[in-house]
Amino acid sequence: MSLFSRFMDGWRKYRKPGYYDEFDYHWTMAIDLDKCTGCQACMTACQAENNIPIVGEEELARGREIQWIRVERYWEGEYPNAKLSFIPIMCQHCDSAPCETVCPVSATYHNQDGLNTQIYNRCIGTRSCAVYCPYEVRYFNYYDHHWDSPLEQQLNPDVTVRGKGVMEKCTFCIQRIREAKDHAKDDGRRRVQDGEVQPACVQTCPSKALVFGDRKDSENEVSVAINDPRKYRVLDELNTDSSVFYLKKVDA
Amino acid sequence: MVAETNNLGYTDIHEDVVRSIVKTGPKYYIALATAGGTTLLCFFFPWFYQLYYGIGAAGMNHPGVWGTYLASFIFWIGLSHSGTLLSCVLHLTNSSWRKAMYRSAEAMTLFSLVVAATYVMVHVGRPWFIHWALPYPNQMELWPNFRSPLMFDVMAITTYITGSTIFIYMGSIPDFAAVRDRTSGWRNTMYTLLSLGWRGTDKEWHRLHWAYTFLAVLIIPLAVSVHSIVSWDFAMSIVPALHQTIFAPYFVVGAIYSGTAGIVTVMFVLRKYMGFERYITKLHFDNLGKLLLVLSLLWTYINAVELFTSWYSGTSEEYEAVGFKLFGFYAPLYWEMILFCAVAPLLMFSTRFRTSFMPMLILSIVINIGMYTERFLIIATSLPRQYLPDAWGVYVPSAVEVSIMVGSFALFTTLFLVFVKIFPSVSMYEVKETMATPKLGSVAPASGSPA
Amino acid sequence: MPNIDRRDFLKLVGAGGVSVGAGFMLREANKDATEYLIPHVVAPEDFSSGLATWYNSVCSMCPAGCGISVRTREGLAKKIEGNPAHPVNQGGLCSLGQAGLQVLYNPDRLTGPLKQTSARGSGSFEQITWDEGLDQLGSRLDLLRAARRGNRVAMLTQGVRGHLAQLFDNFMRQLGSQRLLHYDFNHPHTLYAANQRFFGQDRLPYYDLHNTRMLLSFGADYLTNWISPVHHSLGFGESRQGSSNERGRFIQIEPRMSASGAAADEWLAAKPGTEGILALALANHIVSEGNYAGADRADWAVALTDYTPAKAAEQTGIPQSTITRLADSFIDIQPSLAIGGGAAANHSNGVDTLMAVNVLNYLAGNIGQEGGLLLNPEPTSVVSQQQQASYSTLLEFAEAARQGEIDVLILNGSNPVFTLPQASEFREALASIPLVVSLSSFLDETTAMADLILPSHTYLESWGDDFPEPGMGFPVGAVSQPVVSPLYNTRATGDIILALARQMNVGTALPWENMEECIKDGWRQIYERGDAQTLAQGFDSFWTSVLRAGVWGETAAGDSEFTLDRSVISNIGVQAPEFSGSEEDFPFILHPYLSPNFYDGRGANLPWMQERPDPMTSVVYGSWVEMNPSTAKELDLIEGDLVDIQSLHGTVRAPVYLYPAIMPNVVAMPIGQGHQEFGRYAKDRGVNPIEILSPEIEPITGQLASSATRVNIVPTGRRSKLVKTSGTSRDLGREIVQFADVNGVELSSAGSNSIPITEVTA
Repeated sequence: MSLFSRFMDGWRKYRKPGYYDEFDYHWTMAIDLDKCTGCQACMTACQAENNIPIVGEEELARGREIQWIRVERYWEGEYPNAKLSFIPIMCQHCDSAPCETVCPVSATYHNQDGLNTQIYNRCIGTRSCAVYCPYEVRYFNYYDHHWDSPLEQQLNPDVTVRGKGVMEKCTFCIQRIREAKDHAKDDGRRRVQDGEVQPACVQTCPSKALVFGDRKDSENEVSVAINDPRKYRVLDELNTDSSVFYLKKVDA
Repeated sequence: MVAETNNLGYTDIHEDVVRSIVKTGPKYYIALATAGGTTLLCFFFPWFYQLYYGIGAAGMNHPGVWGTYLASFIFWIGLSHSGTLLSCVLHLTNSSWRKAMYRSAEAMTLFSLVVAATYVMVHVGRPWFIHWALPYPNQMELWPNFRSPLMFDVMAITTYITGSTIFIYMGSIPDFAAVRDRTSGWRNTMYTLLSLGWRGTDKEWHRLHWAYTFLAVLIIPLAVSVHSIVSWDFAMSIVPALHQTIFAPYFVVGAIYSGTAGIVTVMFVLRKYMGFERYITKLHFDNLGKLLLVLSLLWTYINAVELFTSWYSGTSEEYEAVGFKLFGFYAPLYWEMILFCAVAPLLMFSTRFRTSFMPMLILSIVINIGMYTERFLIIATSLPRQYLPDAWGVYVPSAVEVSIMVGSFALFTTLFLVFVKIFPSVSMYEVKETMATPKLGSVAPASGSPA
Repeated sequence: MPNIDRRDFLKLVGAGGVSVGAGFMLREANKDATEYLIPHVVAPEDFSSGLATWYNSVCSMCPAGCGISVRTREGLAKKIEGNPAHPVNQGGLCSLGQAGLQVLYNPDRLTGPLKQTSARGSGSFEQITWDEGLDQLGSRLDLLRAARRGNRVAMLTQGVRGHLAQLFDNFMRQLGSQRLLHYDFNHPHTLYAANQRFFGQDRLPYYDLHNTRMLLSFGADYLTNWISPVHHSLGFGESRQGSSNERGRFIQIEPRMSASGAAADEWLAAKPGTEGILALALANHIVSEGNYAGADRADWAVALTDYTPAKAAEQTGIPQSTITRLADSFIDIQPSLAIGGGAAANHSNGVDTLMAVNVLNYLAGNIGQEGGLLLNPEPTSVVSQQQQASYSTLLEFAEAARQGEIDVLILNGSNPVFTLPQASEFREALASIPLVVSLSSFLDETTAMADLILPSHTYLESWGDDFPEPGMGFPVGAVSQPVVSPLYNTRATGDIILALARQMNVGTALPWENMEECIKDGWRQIYERGDAQTLAQGFDSFWTSVLRAGVWGETAAGDSEFTLDRSVISNIGVQAPEFSGSEEDFPFILHPYLSPNFYDGRGANLPWMQERPDPMTSVVYGSWVEMNPSTAKELDLIEGDLVDIQSLHGTVRAPVYLYPAIMPNVVAMPIGQGHQEFGRYAKDRGVNPIEILSPEIEPITGQLASSATRVNIVPTGRRSKLVKTSGTSRDLGREIVQFADVNGVELSSAGSNSIPITEVTA
């Protein structure tokens, strides 16, 4: 192999997300907008699972909310033909994530499961990932947040409490994925089975609008969902190659 | 060719310059104390408060995660530009009028860069880990992310600081030697060290000139690339209104523009308050004025092109970005910027305007206010209004940010005040080059003319 | 400097060493217990460090009765999830249910018994012991009982079901009191009454949203607060994109678009209170078009003559073509279902309106049909039905209190001072009661007026059980077990009642040591009624399996037969609604609705819920008044302008929010904020629109006609920042939410490309 082609080969690999030729799992979420009722149970479930701080009214007024998953609302038309649609937006775990390239210290990277991960310990707080993210799903810790005692007793011991100066975002509940993998290993299985792991938002969704699974298994629910003719990805034109698929709302 | 310096002798130059270093009046101390105090109070105190409290002390929010800190960072990098760049260009083009002012200009570069680098520390959430952004071998076996435009930035700025430092230092060696020969005590010791044993031999002059020209050639592309890379922090993102190819030239032109204006300001101050009336003359202002005018027109052109591209794209994202800039929350600032950076500089078509000191000072300050606004608007009008309208917000700077901005000017002034007491702020030997060869008997041991 | 020789040196070193050591030990001794790595020398049962233990229980945040699984780690509750085995929620859980953890770990919980030390409402309490507290109340009750004046004791509780409800019943019976009042602001009295009249059943039917293909909802916000929102959401999702090939169609009729309205395919605004007329017009069209073929066809034709679509169009403001189209598709698309509730049921004609909705179901043949309305069989296990007190019952009670007929009032979780209009003068009536005792876990508005507070456990610390109403077509029961050991010096409500019973020497009728035994005993009876298979396993095994599963149900469901009583037909008819206040002085109709976050205000002390943006407006931490943009333009108001909302009975002040989907003559306000007490997160935040409601009632049930208040809007000229998380809620043609037709073919978004640059948001 010539030096040049070796270089080009390395370059292509370097340009690939996380430098992986193939992911172990390819975690994917599908959200059926025709089922979503905008109830925001996913938001509270996420807040409970992931130790998301309570920022207070003053901070919310300054636009400093932290919501790993949020439900956006879009009105169309005017009275009496006004229409409201909801869309849950969380980290889309893009396979070509703009945030991953910009972090100067590689605090955010793509892991072997196709997840876009954030390493809080490595983060120096340039916030550039939040600028580069077109989905605006990265939230910054402007303070050390605090929980009025004894609310802190609820904190999930499997998830870090993030300190000031650190960026945070949806992880697809990586602690649950980790746990499921451990269970699979304990049971002598090689792989996590479908349905064994569900992020908090998917688990709680009252209308079952959210589906989660490994895209590499072509039989499971999520693979069926992402092959639905209604599937689309938000801001797909930006070529982020996201792992969250939406199913179009049906207008009948 | 420099009319007013012709009636000067080499001795006058030495005396003037050395006096400015050695003789320190109460005014200087008052100025230093004011600047230093303001730095402490307005820059370091709020910064420490912010370190303790978190970036929340500033006004950043979601999605306006960048704010005035980054705007100030670009502003200072921009200001840094003209100094060294201008000095290099003029050196290479043999423009002799540069010689009276280039030392201060280069100092400006250096200190602007220092302030800008400090701003990086102010900007990041956890500055105590900022060294992680530097590529050094470490026990974690972790390297920075070389794909990151921010990483390019770190590289570019460190290179630029290094280059500028060497450039200004090298150019000062003969002058250090001159001051060394006229001082005693600790100053003598210091200048002995700084002058690196300069004796003024032909060989030394030859080498100095060769190295100086070499560095000048090297620094021009570096300066251009630095600001291009700074622009990539924005342009490499996919933020509507920032993701534009014109950003690199835009930033470079903007940087030189504001830097040149900054030089006019500094020259006015040096002339008026440091007693350099004889060296910094109308001619300098006239020439810089012409340069400013050209840059202003260029800047206006690029702005117009930027607006046109956004409008022509027809996408909602770009459309909104332009609309918000022109008519939104920050519209008054936008029109202020246009007035200050595009309209007001047209006055410089008049020669009388260019050769009047006070109007030029005011204009130079106005231009820099406009340029600061430009940097602020780039961030404040684009980031909070990206792709998802439901996530839109407004970013308003906090008192801490304003204070730190004011403090950064004080920091810059403090550094400059310290500088003028150490460096000969006018390049003695080069001013001498512009003068007629002196009569025999003149005392100029350290400055043999490089005929 | 003194000379130090070797001996001195050693002495000093020794002394220093000892004091350092003592200091260390002192510090160790003072260490907080949590500073030790593993605080339990002997770990309690089910405790293994690093491993989660899950307990199944029942959610008590609203009356729906969802099953929950609580994840605990190291003896602390960490997460609540829906119990997948529970038929009501099948694993799903709403926002409020998730936030139950913050009830448990709320920093404002009452930590022990308290006694009011000065005037009521002054907020000065002193701590007492449980013995003192129980003694004070118990002796009083004992005296009254002995004097046969037990009826001078009243108990006002939030809606309670299961064995705790039985315990309350039993206890009050022993006291000789008839004054046991269950009160929930959101209890659908009118729905019960309408169904009672129509079906002859005193319980709610099961609304089969899962299988319906066409749902016509008259004001019922079934996805947020109507009966069993999580179950309905499940049904909604299933009907929309479930196993069936035909996608369910949802139509919502209400003056202000609710979350269910947003989810619907079509949202229609009928004039407030005319929903019943609209339903009857639909019925009229069905009958007159010959789409109803029942034997009583002629009777219907007569009963519905007045309700022609043309006339109804005039009365309701909905075009005649729409009415006939709806009526046709209600018949064409089968199975269909009509439901009614919310504001439509809270008018002076509420029962008639809901009767009219039942008429639609009857005429379309939806009753007893899958995908329609299934009548629930008589519960065989525990009588889950409680007699809820209506607004007029509470007024009667308040009157009795004013007359001095009440000596002791025991409050359990109910907060009438907050959920009753000021016009009821309930707070004033409380003053006439010599002893007010509260068993609440929080210092809410009513508890603040109590003389004695005996705080109870939260639902996550106590034993209980629940039998969801309406049933799922078959009887369902669930046991609620403590998931953590009690945090504070509180007691389970049942235990307090049992302790009082012992103090009153009526222990023979209430023989249980504690609530756990009471529940277990109750379930033993359920077990004994079980089939052979159940009995074969033995009670202990049955009990363990119920606790483990968290839910128990009888699979065999008895069918409930239904034939319509002919007299019902002739009595069908909907009067025009009555409003309080004249149209001239009060040009707007106030539409108060339950906040999706706080239910009837009980969630307002949970910081998670305060920070949860309102789904429709994204407002957090406050109150607002919604009005149509055209109305606001007329009044020259923009978002954030403070206005006074004046009714005949009071005024509240709130910022304006421009709501695109509300009728121009209606203003809407969320219920839930505006607490004067209730802990740091709820106190002094927003306003409570219940305060200014007119005491208009629905005459048949005595329910408060909460949608019957007219108000005036008076601009104050001041502004307040409306804290909301949303920037611009228009997608500007960016196609963020994309649409497809039923076959999945893309439809282009109709979003406008106008530039909203004038909108200043943060």
